[in-house]
Amino acid sequence: MDVFLQILFSGCAIGMIYAVIAFGYQLTFATSGTLNFGQGEALALGALVGLSVAGHVSYWAMIPFALIFGALYGIAVERIAVRPAMEVKSEGWIMATIALGIIMKNVAENIWGREDMKFPSPVPETPLQVFGVNILPMELLVIGGALAIMLAIEAFNRKSIYGKAVVATASDPAAAGLMGVNTGQVITFSYALSCATAAFAGILIAPLTLAGAGMGASLGLKAFAVAIVGGLTSGIGAIVGGLLLGISETATGFYISTGYKDVPGLVLLLLVLALKPAGLFGKSAIKKV
Amino acid sequence: MATTRKLLPWIAIAALALFPQVVPNPYYIHLLVVIGIYAIVLFGLDIVVGYTGEVSLGHAALFGIGAYAAGLLFVKAGWPFWLAIPSAIAITALLGAALAVPALRVTGPYLAMVTLAFGTIAFILINEMDFLTNGPQGLQVRKPVVFGHKVTALDFYYFTLVLVVLSIVIVSRILASHYGRAFIALRGSPVAADCMGVSVYKYKVLAFIVSAAFAGLGGALFAFSEEYIAPNTFTFELAVLFLLAITLGGRRTRTGALLGAAIIVVLPNLLSDVKLFRILSAVIALGVGAYAAWAVTTTRTTIREIAFPVAVLAAFTLFAFTLKEIAEHRLTIFGLLILGVVFYLPDGITGYLKSLVRKWKPGLLHEHTEVTERGDEAHAWAKSAHALPEGQALIEAKGVLMQFGGLKALNDVDLRVSPGTIHGLIGPNGSGKSTMMNVLTGIYRPTAGSVTFQGENIAGRSPARIALNGIARTFQNVQLFGEMTCVENVLVGLHHTFRSNILDVIFATRRCREEELAARMRAASLLAFVGLSELANEEARNLPYGRMRLLEIARALGLSPTLLLLDEPAAGLPPSELPALVEMIRKIRDHHISVILIEHHMDVVMSICDRVTVLDFGQKIAEGAAAEVQRNPKVIEAYLGAGAAESSDGEPQLAQA
Repeated sequence: MDVFLQILFSGCAIGMIYAVIAFGYQLTFATSGTLNFGQGEALALGALVGLSVAGHVSYWAMIPFALIFGALYGIAVERIAVRPAMEVKSEGWIMATIALGIIMKNVAENIWGREDMKFPSPVPETPLQVFGVNILPMELLVIGGALAIMLAIEAFNRKSIYGKAVVATASDPAAAGLMGVNTGQVITFSYALSCATAAFAGILIAPLTLAGAGMGASLGLKAFAVAIVGGLTSGIGAIVGGLLLGISETATGFYISTGYKDVPGLVLLLLVLALKPAGLFGKSAIKKV
Repeated sequence: MATTRKLLPWIAIAALALFPQVVPNPYYIHLLVVIGIYAIVLFGLDIVVGYTGEVSLGHAALFGIGAYAAGLLFVKAGWPFWLAIPSAIAITALLGAALAVPALRVTGPYLAMVTLAFGTIAFILINEMDFLTNGPQGLQVRKPVVFGHKVTALDFYYFTLVLVVLSIVIVSRILASHYGRAFIALRGSPVAADCMGVSVYKYKVLAFIVSAAFAGLGGALFAFSEEYIAPNTFTFELAVLFLLAITLGGRRTRTGALLGAAIIVVLPNLLSDVKLFRILSAVIALGVGAYAAWAVTTTRTTIREIAFPVAVLAAFTLFAFTLKEIAEHRLTIFGLLILGVVFYLPDGITGYLKSLVRKWKPGLLHEHTEVTERGDEAHAWAKSAHALPEGQALIEAKGVLMQFGGLKALNDVDLRVSPGTIHGLIGPNGSGKSTMMNVLTGIYRPTAGSVTFQGENIAGRSPARIALNGIARTFQNVQLFGEMTCVENVLVGLHHTFRSNILDVIFATRRCREEELAARMRAASLLAFVGLSELANEEARNLPYGRMRLLEIARALGLSPTLLLLDEPAAGLPPSELPALVEMIRKIRDHHISVILIEHHMDVVMSICDRVTVLDFGQKIAEGAAAEVQRNPKVIEAYLGAGAAESSDGEPQLAQA
């Protein structure tokens, strides 16, 4: 029973990280139908920049720096890789965002080195015992932080006029453009938000794992699975999908072998696509002729 | 010219066959083998990327699966190589199917995302399952012994050469067949492809499976060529490299794939030597600089436009000459190369060369097979389908409700069309006519209500199935396959007449050839029927608007429908041609094809429709013979407003709306 609870809890912590990254995919997919195939690198860079800044200030004071860096990085991704491809309506953005990711990973390796580094934890690193389950305070922080940033963005989209522009662009870019919304700017903005959340996810997860240029690749990939399983259009879907994947892979890692822990993700992904292509919480779009 | 074109491949093959005799250097021979193997993978990848327009990041993994399947069957199961290679192809194709069947159910970037995940997982599994694959240590695969003769590297060179040539023949045959036309059509207009009975989903899946089979063949050859396979060959980087190759070489050509393969095989060698890399970047910089100077002075482009790429290239060259250790920056260079190709050479090298040739000598390029058949009336029509008993409706919609959110685009509409009639469907803009079309053809699934066609309920069936059942349509906003010629467009409509399967196509069996000839004859006849014979080999996108609509009619007739839905066929036609259109619709009816006609030209509607249904705000407001409906006050009100119906001096009539 304790083991089961332990798996459940650990799965939740990692699952929430997946959820935040998947949420980032949803932000840009909603406004532009594109997403950053190099999101894992945005996460890794966020963590590495955070690590450098944290050498001078406290973890808490570092957070805004990481967020701002993430936003700037998102703007760069949109301007360099996505916008030129969207202007000619090609699938080139997939290749371009991948290429940018490859470049940034290489650059990060040359700046911070190829070795993974320890990331200072802002909270005590001794586990708490609750119902016989070992809980790291950082894991609680991950869950809390992930929920907080998703709620903050959701609230921004619903309450503020800028957020309304984002929602309008997401539901009908042409109409939003005619109503005076600068949809190009909205798309850039959604990329900034998206990469900022990825950078935030980076500094959340880094104290639990390690920070390094390669830390993001598999996280970004699993968030793909989460986004598809939960539905590319549903925030709740991202959370449920993240938890599903986090728990299933922690369980696989424990009961079968850590080597196989990535397998249930793909199986889940293919199953959901076969049974409910729009995702568990997604709405299928109506095509117009 | 035509003879040189035919000779060229033979010269290339002869040159490659003689190469080892002239240059007996094992290094170069091996390099050519690897290029050939990559080319085979790229021929397949091109079907997915170039033809169906999807992006696959899983081809490195499929390539690896082919290699491991062949290697394991050969080494561990002791199968002969001639059995191991086809089995490897089959296994890879099967896995490709397992991937494509769910992933292609949705459009968008899904295939790229799913194949990326698949690639990573395959990599992990090959690493982890060391009881089978030897894990990270890799697998030793010796070249086979055939009839007591140990196959040498040179033998293998010729073996690969033969397989590359065979692959080119097979891929070209598939792409020139009705399968190839289906692949191009579904990218041109997915909706129209579905409505021509060519299921977009089915053919995308098929394209991916064929593509996976080629990746499997490439992988199997790779295992025997390298004699050693390890998981770290089949990485994400290789998948990206394959995509780069197909983009850089040029999509939708075999030459492009060969060129791309050669580049990605040679590239790592170029990037491992700083000197070579510097020379290369200097040459590119000089070339682009010269082009930029020429383009600006001849005002082909502005300084503003070209400043950014030139600046980036200058920075890149500077970077090339300042870096000390190239290995550390290998991936950065690789990434920059991809960005450069995606944005400045999107059609690849062959695409760029083609565009040059097109500018200088447009007649030199033959991108479509010319169809020379002259059609005649007799070949235009299929044998007429079984006639329905008198009095039974051909199609009957009952209580159709189509709701989008809170909006009821159709509200409890009944429609009944008798066989052998022309049924008009009119109403002001936004009254739900086109929505009704979409419900009848399966593009929308009605929220409530039933649609019965020839006694079967078809509501909820896929558009492709409904089309094959015998309902053809044209589109209000033209949905032609723009890059295909007129005759090819009609041939897509005739897709259903082909019984030959993919093996028939690969072996070019008699059945396949006969069907193609018959289809061409009929396509030409249909074009003659709508008066487009002269434009048969013209690309559809170059047609004037009115002609496009006529082409849509010819294509729809290709389906040999029982019911034809015409959505505003007269739009874009000059008034002088309206009588010919009316005559054409009558002739269609005389060939036992019932017609539902949406049209705003009331004179057309009134002169040929046996019955007319009027919709307004999603509801049926009138139905009856043309003349009756014309006098119906509700109809006049809908078109002209409430006042018009009352202030009637004499008899108000709806003549033109």
